[in-house]
Amino acid sequence: MDELVRNEAGDRIYSLNLGPQHPSTHGVLRILLDLDGEYIVKADPVIGYGHRGHEKMGENRQYKQFLPNTSRIDYLSGLLYNHGFVLAVEKLAGIKVPERAKFIRVIAAELNRISSHLLWFGTYLLDIGGITPFLYAFDDREHILDILDTITGSRLTYSYCRFGGVCRDIDWKFIEMSRAFLKRMEARWADYEALVTKNVIFIHRTRDVGVIDRELARQYGVTGPNLRACGVPFDVRRSEPYEVYDRLDFEIPTGTKGDALDRYNVRFREMQQSCRIIDQALDQLPEGEVLAPKVPQKLSPPKGEVYSAFESARGLSAYYMVSDGSSGPYRCHIRVPSFGNLNVLNDVLPGTLVADAISILGSIDVVIPEIDR
Amino acid sequence: MMLKDIEARMQAKFADSPLKRDETGVTGARWSVELPISAIREAAMEFNGAGFFLESITALDFEDTFELVYHYNCFEPASRVTVRVLCGHDQSPASVCDIFRGAVWLEREVHDFFGIKFAGNPDMRPLLLPEDADYHPLKKTFGKVGAYHKREVIYG
Repeated sequence: MDELVRNEAGDRIYSLNLGPQHPSTHGVLRILLDLDGEYIVKADPVIGYGHRGHEKMGENRQYKQFLPNTSRIDYLSGLLYNHGFVLAVEKLAGIKVPERAKFIRVIAAELNRISSHLLWFGTYLLDIGGITPFLYAFDDREHILDILDTITGSRLTYSYCRFGGVCRDIDWKFIEMSRAFLKRMEARWADYEALVTKNVIFIHRTRDVGVIDRELARQYGVTGPNLRACGVPFDVRRSEPYEVYDRLDFEIPTGTKGDALDRYNVRFREMQQSCRIIDQALDQLPEGEVLAPKVPQKLSPPKGEVYSAFESARGLSAYYMVSDGSSGPYRCHIRVPSFGNLNVLNDVLPGTLVADAISILGSIDVVIPEIDR
Repeated sequence: MMLKDIEARMQAKFADSPLKRDETGVTGARWSVELPISAIREAAMEFNGAGFFLESITALDFEDTFELVYHYNCFEPASRVTVRVLCGHDQSPASVCDIFRGAVWLEREVHDFFGIKFAGNPDMRPLLLPEDADYHPLKKTFGKVGAYHKREVIYG
């Protein structure tokens, strides 16, 4: 409690610092709250603690040298960002990717999406007081990390994609492990439903909490599961299909109200859809090369710009790059979904309880270093 | 409102600024338009009225000018549009934060990185940089940079 002041009506308003080091902020986020008793009057998120200057680094490096940076922007869905970056550079330089590599990328990306959602699932419930689901979720997530480890060699900051394909082909062991994981998860969904989805305490903590409706989402540029929770089926994988997503059969889960419970349900069902995508992609996996031949080590794309959007675990992400014909981009801008998703808290938090603020913050699934870049 | 309608409206409103269509999909946008700096708010209001959202605002630093790049997009059907605005190094573009509430942060970020002050934005504190930052790291005059071009070098 920093200071005691009074508002115009004479009520005592006091400020509370939530964070920067707080278990529920998922990264270094500080929110300055003005409180009237237990109710939030004003919320001012303070970000930037994890600013590393990725955009500047992008401009100082060759395209290839920026690859390891990409998975450190949003470290929970590193492979998706890695994938998005090579998609953008391939568009800019006009590189064709072999079919097999496209499928492998989709499989790896969806595995990463599930692992990101599982981590959110575990930590969100931890935030609102459920410890057991966290242990379950991390157990499952560990399987994905092991699977991705066999092809990428990393557990978190994957740098697996290359311009024109991927760096390593998948083998029978990867396929076997992935199939086993899908089978395991089939039984797991029922456990999660019984443990969490139908849990009365959980429902009371999330229903009608932190409603983000369509108009508010539009005003702030909210995307991803947070947007789909209010009933807008907007998904880059469907609206601007990249790789082989247009050939795979999957649904886009949506909610109705846009409260924390809807956001939970959307993400939960998204994991199941990702499993469906992986299953189909493994079935349809063609034989062949995984890396386009004759991609020069030092790329110098023609002058021009590229804006390449992809669906990360948190929403619409995009790389905007301008090439001046040299071996590195003149400008490298990264559009991150968490930016809009956190920004909306300026409007959502006022009027809610402090305890709900924790639930809301968890339910929108922000990764702060992604915003800070 | 469909993309076609807003296309027609933009063409009628800004007759001097032809829409540039992109069939290749490389720029990610259906079309782009270069508007004078005085038309920022008018364009934003058009897109707001048509149900678009503001996907990103960013800038480019050229030797002769800044270039502001606004990406608008629509949920259903997804249709991205690029609006470019040339903004002199000493000019101060109008803020769109009362049209799109999320723009407050987007403009703060551009101010952080390029030092472009948006007229009408009530909150120009540094967003990602430290609160006492007096430098703008994405300017080409800051730190190690490869090249500093005039705009025509890239866009011809």
